[in-house]
Amino acid sequence: MEVLTVLVPYILRGLSVTLEVTGVALGFGLIFGAILAILRVYGGNLLSRILTLYTNILRALPHILLLLIIYFLIARIINLSAFWAGSLSLAIISSAYQAEIIRGAILSVPQGQMMAARSIGLTRIQAIWHVIIPQAFRHAIPPWSNEAAIVIKDSSLVYVLGVPEILRQAQYYSARTYQPFVAYITVAVIYFLLTFMTNRGLDALERRIRIPI
Amino acid sequence: MSIIEYLLIAIPKIWTGLLITFKVSAICLLIGLLIGMPAALARVYGPKWLRWLVTGYIEILRGTPVLVQLFLIYYGLPQFGLTLSAFASAYLAIGMNSGAYQAEYFRGAIQAISSGQMMAARSIGLSRMQAIRHVIIPQAFRFAIPAWSNEVVAMIKISSIVYLIAVPEMLYVAKELMAKYYNPFQTYFTVGAVYLIVIGLLTVLLNALERKLTIPGLETVKRGS
Amino acid sequence: MPRSSKEIVKIQDVHKAYGKEDVLKGISMEVTEGEVVILVGPSGTGKSTLLRCINQLTVPDSGHVWVNGIELTDPSTDIDKARQHIGMVFQDFNLFNHLSALDNVMLGLTQVLKMDVEKAREKAMHELDRVGLCNKFMNYPGQLSGGQKQRVAIARSLAMEPIVMLFDEPTSALDPELIGEVLVVMKDLALGGMTMICVTHEIGFARDVSTRIVFMEHGDIVEEGSPKKMLNHPDLQRTKQFLGKISELH
Repeated sequence: MEVLTVLVPYILRGLSVTLEVTGVALGFGLIFGAILAILRVYGGNLLSRILTLYTNILRALPHILLLLIIYFLIARIINLSAFWAGSLSLAIISSAYQAEIIRGAILSVPQGQMMAARSIGLTRIQAIWHVIIPQAFRHAIPPWSNEAAIVIKDSSLVYVLGVPEILRQAQYYSARTYQPFVAYITVAVIYFLLTFMTNRGLDALERRIRIPI
Repeated sequence: MSIIEYLLIAIPKIWTGLLITFKVSAICLLIGLLIGMPAALARVYGPKWLRWLVTGYIEILRGTPVLVQLFLIYYGLPQFGLTLSAFASAYLAIGMNSGAYQAEYFRGAIQAISSGQMMAARSIGLSRMQAIRHVIIPQAFRFAIPAWSNEVVAMIKISSIVYLIAVPEMLYVAKELMAKYYNPFQTYFTVGAVYLIVIGLLTVLLNALERKLTIPGLETVKRGS
Repeated sequence: MPRSSKEIVKIQDVHKAYGKEDVLKGISMEVTEGEVVILVGPSGTGKSTLLRCINQLTVPDSGHVWVNGIELTDPSTDIDKARQHIGMVFQDFNLFNHLSALDNVMLGLTQVLKMDVEKAREKAMHELDRVGLCNKFMNYPGQLSGGQKQRVAIARSLAMEPIVMLFDEPTSALDPELIGEVLVVMKDLALGGMTMICVTHEIGFARDVSTRIVFMEHGDIVEEGSPKKMLNHPDLQRTKQFLGKISELH
């Protein structure tokens, strides 16, 4: 159908934006999340509790509400574009979940590993870097793969801020051609392919770095 | 206007919105349950073609954003003459989406208890159907409670997206208030606080329920992390 | 073998409580160079805790610990540096699961002693050879038996050239047929003059190689003395009772 030769390229124009939003969200989410996790595990009691509260609040609010709050309240003040407001909001949200994943992965490494590392004279930081993190990383991949898929899907929310990702493109298209169904189906297919390939890719990574038994 | 004045006006409206949020969440959870449990049973006990079909359904619904699913139903279906109201579209889209996730929790639960229990049930003469009905399903429900209570909280959050198709739940009310009074800070703060309180209370309630009802054992899959 | 009377480990009035439970009630002990001290006693009487207090993996509530003249309980002491000279072998081996046997032994050499990678590899292979495992250098912990894992753990500690080795129930987690290979390595170490403090139930090992047996119960040292004395004619009835029991089993 000639619909496809017009529709698909039009929607794909938004694909790079979708990927950029996802990339920023996952990337910054990983950095913030890792910092949060390490502080919670190794940072002492008071800090741990404050951060747990922070994480719980972030996980209790609807993602779209957080997006709107950050865009309307904060982005106006410090002059962020819709793209950055949206992406960083998603990053902040994702960081709360990624912190849980990373924290769980760190805690899943047996206590004895840290003891053994310290007993040969490694400093705490050396032990974390050389012994804990390599093992925690492997444990973290499956749940992280899940989170990556979630962020890909959440990127659709930034259309609300006018960011021209694929859902926005589908909306424009259906407004002009009165063919919403094809437009949204196309978008659905693209999202499905993205999540599918991400999961498969991370599965393959997990298999490659698996510790031999 | 002062904060008190604002709250006096806003709170009743937010309350109405909250009730709609609850209504939408509850119905979608129920639809999800009615889809999810049979889907899980089909995936564990059904013939190959059925397992394939159900797995496809689950993978597709979990692999695409619920917002897109919502728009497909609300904006897309009218193209074929099938026009659903905003509410109906919400129930259908989010219900089906929840069904996919619930299918996975129940599948985890069923598989965790299945083999031993099934063997025991068959060995006293129950048929497969009877075993499923009287032994597997009751336990599957209790096993899945932790994952399911996670789904309840997730549902309250997800239901907020229906404001985009003008269902008057809390976030929609918030937007209306902001349009009228030009005070995004107060409004968002209030609505955010309400969500926190509601979800906080729900979590406490659900945890208490969990402790009373769960069978200690295998952890099952949860939505998100 | 002539033994100097240089004091390697000195423990003075060490107390440790977990919650309301007093696990160590004022333990004092000296270990001189070349001694092989065996700590025995019922489970939960603080033996492992005492061992961990020596290298400060557990920090005592009060009391002092010196290793090779350096006070480890002094907060200004660089504890990581001190630990380079104390080897510890754990009941659960605690090999770094994501590293091969060779890398396990090399890690301390490259990261703590800042050795050249080539030199470190050479030394690590030498230590693995010493415990009889140079042909397993590329294997991962998941691919090794319990006895092999423990021997790699010993090699890992030995590579740091410690002046004292602490063994915390090194064979308790092993299948009976695998205990022997680890005890052989430990015996060799003892005969070679290594200062060792071992928490163990292996009375045969104690009889053959130890220079002192210390019997602990309820957080106190009940009695201590030469193996000959402790195993044949101890002063206290309780000592006789306990050592008699575990003699039967091991």
